[in-house]
Amino acid sequence: MLGGLIEANVGSRPEKRKDFEALASRVGIWVTDIEEGVTLDFQKGRLVVHNGLGPKRDLTIRAEAGTVMNLSNLKIGLFGMPVYYDKVGRGVAAKLVQGKLRIDGLVGNLATLNAVTRIFSVAG
Amino acid sequence: MTVKAFSDEWATQFKDEVNNSSVYKSAAKGWKWTVGLVVEAEPDKNFPEAKGVVMDLFDGEAREIKVGPASAAQQCDFVITAPYSRWKQVATKELDATKGMLQGKLKLKGDLPTIVRYTKASQEMTECTTRVPVEWPDES
Repeated sequence: MLGGLIEANVGSRPEKRKDFEALASRVGIWVTDIEEGVTLDFQKGRLVVHNGLGPKRDLTIRAEAGTVMNLSNLKIGLFGMPVYYDKVGRGVAAKLVQGKLRIDGLVGNLATLNAVTRIFSVAG
Repeated sequence: MTVKAFSDEWATQFKDEVNNSSVYKSAAKGWKWTVGLVVEAEPDKNFPEAKGVVMDLFDGEAREIKVGPASAAQQCDFVITAPYSRWKQVATKELDATKGMLQGKLKLKGDLPTIVRYTKASQEMTECTTRVPVEWPDES
């Protein structure tokens, strides 16, 4: 489903395609309450989705299903930055503070996280 | 009053639950697409024929919810398909619909970004199904 969401976003929104074509990174998403996940292997305009968490991931996002869906609802604001000050953004930030949303590999990969968030976002 | 699963009476009660939900009303503001639920047959569960639930949802209101053939539900803008026992799991809170979709247990057809934008509305709609007291064919 996450692969389908990216495909639909990139296909319909030129600004997301630009991010997609520039991104080379391996991003893991682990859905904690179903204990399943995927590795999204972004290869500058190509995406390969692997079941489970594969090796050599730059970033790994771990959260419950509802939070993963909420990440897709983050608005994108000025300079392409995700908005963390509206209702959805505050909810996501709270999960981060509570440890219910974990992002491994964030140091050095903040730009990647922002690009992935932009590609995923259905709100911005 | 307990109603038979996926009967006309069930559809009426489900519609009432949706329209009584202030959470749904606010979360579904702006929604303007039809949603079809395809309930696949499971003869061994005493559910011998597939059914379709057609939901005409508009801007936070359920204008009509009808039970009919699966083919009618398949014509909707968004179609969610699962076998009978999976829908029963959703309606009895054994399976969260969001998790079910992420796992591919509920198959979704339609524009994904749109439905993701309305995650809260679809979660509340699932809650509404759990509030309808149901007589299940494999339990009767």
